[in-house]
Amino acid sequence: MNGSLEHEAMLDLVAVAALGSLPADDLRIVTLHLATCAECRAEYDALRPAADAVGLIAEEPIDTLRSARMKKRLLAAIGPAGGVRRGSSPSGLIWSSSLVAAAAVVFALVSTVQDIRLRSDLANAQRTTAQLQTRVAETQRTNENERDMLADLFAANAKRYTVPNGEVVASGSHVYFALRALPALPKGKVYQAWTLAKGAKTVAPSVTFTPNATGSAIVQLPANATSLAAVALSVEPEGGSKAPTSKPTFIQPLS
Amino acid sequence: MGREARGIMEDGARLMERVRARDGAAFERLYDSYHRLVFGVALRMLGDATMAEDLTQSVFMKVWSSPEAFRYGNFGAWIARVARNRALDVLRSRSLRDESEIPADLAEPGSLDDAVFSRLDSERVRRALAGLPDEQRAPIEMGFFGGITHEEIAKRTGIPLGTIKTRIRTGLRKLRVDLEGAVSR
Repeated sequence: MNGSLEHEAMLDLVAVAALGSLPADDLRIVTLHLATCAECRAEYDALRPAADAVGLIAEEPIDTLRSARMKKRLLAAIGPAGGVRRGSSPSGLIWSSSLVAAAAVVFALVSTVQDIRLRSDLANAQRTTAQLQTRVAETQRTNENERDMLADLFAANAKRYTVPNGEVVASGSHVYFALRALPALPKGKVYQAWTLAKGAKTVAPSVTFTPNATGSAIVQLPANATSLAAVALSVEPEGGSKAPTSKPTFIQPLS
Repeated sequence: MGREARGIMEDGARLMERVRARDGAAFERLYDSYHRLVFGVALRMLGDATMAEDLTQSVFMKVWSSPEAFRYGNFGAWIARVARNRALDVLRSRSLRDESEIPADLAEPGSLDDAVFSRLDSERVRRALAGLPDEQRAPIEMGFFGGITHEEIAKRTGIPLGTIKTRIRTGLRKLRVDLEGAVSR
């Protein structure tokens, strides 16, 4: 496949991204590409409003009773003072109502059927429910983090620094490495980020990471971007190093 | 049981300016104008009226508690995308599946900054979508409302993956041109 065909294929993926139907792995690849390709970014910006407009066709007539009930419930939740009651995320609402219903069923079973097997089954079910809820919470946290990260990467006021194999992006207090086609790591090695605080004379160790199969990685450094003078990247032994042990892949001042 | 006709959508962007100033009456009018749209997106994606109700409530509570999330552009398209993203979260929670996971979005809703598109309404979009060849319209609607990846669309339709991607792109480009033409007439 030549470069032009590859780029056409990427433009197709950009369109799917605008629609919101790309799997997470593909979306990361497109995200990295958009950061460095003006043509694809322009395509995305052109197609996204058209994709968003599709949602407008979903308007449904609602029966008047349901509509009135929904409005009453919403206004009651907001309250007369206009303050929204907290802790009512959408999936939280749905989950909480489901859990209340499930709890009622469980209570009725336990109080009416004094059967040890049922209790055992119940305990197993509760363990399973707890495990599933943990997974849901983890998934939701991951989703939220990824959304925040993507919003940061494309923020209009983000500062972008071109480095070998990608960019360093500073957005507000966050700083990211958006890298692609990184050289494969020798066995037992990882990439490690380094930060140099303003006024400091030596770098501090930051996160370690391994890129995916295509050499791509988007990494958020756990440091406040506004307090940093520079960031760097090097290859280090697994587990990371306290000080760089190899020549840095790049050192990027954050001006 | 009576059914409300499709409502005339008031200018959501203007109402949101008042909502930001904590104007409860404006919020109520916003709800009256757009709850059928949010409910419709949720119902299409979740297939359950009770869950669609819950989701509609949560979307509007979010609008009230974080009105700054909408910056400018077409409010209807924005809130429909917010509803879609929330419905995707629910679908993920419900199925607890990791495979074929669609992240909710590339950029946060609110990026719809094209002045032309701020004047769109649902009828214009319906007409423009109806004007697309079925082979382009179907994967676009499946992708938006089905909560599935382009790979799943290819699997379900038996059409090669590359063809699906190209049809989505061609369809969205044509849709953009048609919508621009519609609002400028």
